[in-house]
Amino acid sequence: MELLVFGIFFIVYAVMRVQNIEMFNHYQLTLNKELGAVNTLLLISSSYFVVRAVHAIRDNKVESCIHWLYAGLAGGAGFLILKALEYSDKFSAGISLSTNTFYMFYLSLTMFHFLHVILGMVILFAVALKAKQGRYSAENYTGVETGASYWHMVDLVWIILFPLVYIIR
Amino acid sequence: MKMVNREMFIWLLMMLLTLSTYAMGKFAVDGLAVVMFLLVTAAIKGGLIIRDFMALQGVALLWQIIMYGWLMLVCLTIAITYIVGL
Repeated sequence: MELLVFGIFFIVYAVMRVQNIEMFNHYQLTLNKELGAVNTLLLISSSYFVVRAVHAIRDNKVESCIHWLYAGLAGGAGFLILKALEYSDKFSAGISLSTNTFYMFYLSLTMFHFLHVILGMVILFAVALKAKQGRYSAENYTGVETGASYWHMVDLVWIILFPLVYIIR
Repeated sequence: MKMVNREMFIWLLMMLLTLSTYAMGKFAVDGLAVVMFLLVTAAIKGGLIIRDFMALQGVALLWQIIMYGWLMLVCLTIAITYIVGL
């Protein structure tokens, strides 16, 4: 369901850009590409750490699984901090959803994704807590896999969002 | 262990692809060929996440069609809109 909504969002963004190419190209240059790139690296790394958590629980290494989940959570936290800095910069410059069409899409798309990162982190934290309580093992790790899949979906969406909004012109 | 090495390689490959995407943006490179390169790069990264991180190769065909189909549909539609906008 989330993928469907993001997919529609991306396509509508691309269509609206065709109708406002100069405006989109101009305001795209005001975005912080460095923060966007670092955030992409953080999410990709975080996804990899969560993959390692799944491998660890398959090998019945519960402690290792918890540590990899915490590493994944740290990547997500880093993403949220950098994104908050980016928003703070934009809001302090007086930019809002109503500034123009480009910023309307930039803010709504990235904030919608931001909320999914928070939800993904809540899920990963809950999985880590359950693992700590000994409720996952090599025989029972569906919860870890499900939480990991959601986190990879959040990463997948950002992998399209970053070049689409920050780079392609 | 072999699987972990493969996933580490994929992780590092995706980091490199991200840096190449950033470089394109940093130097404000544009043009159809560049847009296609960026979209193909994004599609490759997305495909690697679906295949190797989500480990979809062993699940029902329907899920594979949904995930890969979503990725292809989004990337192709974006590519078409950029071609139209030239």
